[in-house]
Amino acid sequence: MSLIKLNPQTAKKLRRFREIKRGYYSFLILVGFLLLSLMGEMLINNRALIVSYEGDLYFPTYSAFHPGTDFGLDYPYETNYRDLQRHFEETGSDNWVLMPLIPYSPFENDASSGIFRPEAPNAERQHYLGTDTTSRDILARLFYGTRIALIFSIGFMAAVYLIGVAVGCAMGYLGGMFDILSQRLIEIWSNIPFLYMVIIVFSVIPDGFTIFARILILLSVMVLFSWTSMTYYMRTETYKEKSRDYVAAARVLGASNTRIVFRHILPNVLSTLVTFMPFTIVSAISAITALDFLGFGLPPPTPSLGELLKQGTQTLRTAPWIVMSAFGTLVVLLTLVTFVGEAIRESFDPKKFTLYK
Amino acid sequence: MSVIPLQVKSVDPILSVRDLKMHFPVKEGIFMRTGRFNKAVDGVNFDIMPGETLGLVGESGCGKSTLGRCISRLYQPTAGEIRFEGRDIATLKRKELMPFRRDIQMIFQDPMESLNARHTVGQILEEPFQIHRIGDRAYRQQRVKELLDVVGLPARSVTRYPFEFSGGQRQRIGIARAIALNPKLIICDEPVSALDVSIQSQILNLLIDLQTEYKLSYLFIAHDLAVVKHISDRIAIMYLGRIVETGAGESIYRTARHPYTQSLISAIPVPDPHHHSHRQILVGDVPSPINPPSGCSFHTRCPKVMEVCRQTSPVLSQDQQPVACHLYE
Repeated sequence: MSLIKLNPQTAKKLRRFREIKRGYYSFLILVGFLLLSLMGEMLINNRALIVSYEGDLYFPTYSAFHPGTDFGLDYPYETNYRDLQRHFEETGSDNWVLMPLIPYSPFENDASSGIFRPEAPNAERQHYLGTDTTSRDILARLFYGTRIALIFSIGFMAAVYLIGVAVGCAMGYLGGMFDILSQRLIEIWSNIPFLYMVIIVFSVIPDGFTIFARILILLSVMVLFSWTSMTYYMRTETYKEKSRDYVAAARVLGASNTRIVFRHILPNVLSTLVTFMPFTIVSAISAITALDFLGFGLPPPTPSLGELLKQGTQTLRTAPWIVMSAFGTLVVLLTLVTFVGEAIRESFDPKKFTLYK
Repeated sequence: MSVIPLQVKSVDPILSVRDLKMHFPVKEGIFMRTGRFNKAVDGVNFDIMPGETLGLVGESGCGKSTLGRCISRLYQPTAGEIRFEGRDIATLKRKELMPFRRDIQMIFQDPMESLNARHTVGQILEEPFQIHRIGDRAYRQQRVKELLDVVGLPARSVTRYPFEFSGGQRQRIGIARAIALNPKLIICDEPVSALDVSIQSQILNLLIDLQTEYKLSYLFIAHDLAVVKHISDRIAIMYLGRIVETGAGESIYRTARHPYTQSLISAIPVPDPHHHSHRQILVGDVPSPINPPSGCSFHTRCPKVMEVCRQTSPVLSQDQQPVACHLYE
């Protein structure tokens, strides 16, 4: 027997998912992008991939920082590899530098004229989508912004599912007073205005917190106010499955509650919840973008789509490329995820032919 | 099949139910307060002898499935005793019930519902052994193969899923699961009513074969008298949470005493075009078990209703064919 033997129904759903080309290719593109972005530092970065200097090879991408003096330059701070590349070419030495495809970091201000201002797309300087208001490369910021948004949303979805499934399942399975009390508490909880909570929480966070800690806090606040909707589905589904005869049969055999929940109810319920996953991701991406746009989202200077959109709307006349690229990326991203969601829903639909085909 | 009469004193009943009551609280209003009770089972007494089949017949909603689920302890009965081999199991907790779970098993009406669609037949049949920690993996798989053989399914069914089988085959899987732990009593909750008529007799014959082979006792719940007659040694007729008449299968057919039983018997179709029966057609529906009628609960539909029926509730008589009816007092 193979290691993972798929239930034929699951296999059938997978097959149907693959048949729905639009969703399947969107899924491949998204997964491809996600994998690619995990090694994004090798594609879009201001640190060189390889430096060959005096016969030695250096790989600065993931290594410790190299001061300029390492490569015979006259400054002790971090090497500017673009300048190093130019320097080596000008001196005509055997040393060489291999830069990533786009040699800019999302945090780096590359003000050619010495003034921070948006610059139009310029292939020669390798700012393919131009720069933003503080002369940072837009393509780099879009790339890393999308990566953060995607990873953030996947983390968000995982946490929401974990809490929502656990609480909803407990409500449906235990029922009775626990169910009624939890429902009332959830109703109260879900009426707390989320945006105010974000503003309040971020106004009390001390300055000493790192960016990573701030992102985690934002994620927790968002999860804390979003898991409730998951419990509604879980609760009713669990109620439904609990009353079916296969659960009664397990109980007559003497199965424990843990066994009934984990071996019988959850596997039957989770397959329906899978269909909500992409839509949860869509809403998470939209939410984080909206928060960034308002200035309450990911802390600066984290690259983000919402922050670019905000810049773009402020410089709509003078630098239309900012809003265009940010908007375009957002539309493509959300459309792809929605296509995946549609395809999953379609392949899980017991009725084979629906409008989406 | 041998008919074991109630009167034999030397054999103790394997199951004896005394004054069993299952009252479900009816939650009403926004505060979900319990005002009234649904008296699904309201004072039931009967015995099942070892190796005997007791057929339990009644209209839908009369409480026969609830009674079955009380005995298999899916429900906690409100009151009364369920004595299994002399020990009262009506109030036992889950852990205390474990040894009895091996002895009392259940077959359900719709096998599509009672088999987990996400498990293979092998997983379904292995589960009883896993729950009771019997044997190692190899032993369990061996037993699964034997069980499939006993119920007449090919050994290769192990890796298949329930939906890949026909209705009758699915019910065989349900039966295999029920006999896996070598039980003594099986509660059959309408095991054939979801099946095609042509399949019904196959399943019934399988149940009868298993009974003789493993010396099983059955509580056979059905709403179809013809089916019950085929398999039962004794029959109990249930109406609105109570047993109104019991007796050996044949005698119930020949000399039905309770007016309700008589109307049920007259409703059995006879495969003879020249046969003209006097069908006693009951009027009205079964009254609600939340608000049962006063006196005899059948008096609202009884063709022979008397004044006393509206006042006092009859008790089951203590003769050869016990009946709860004022006509025979």
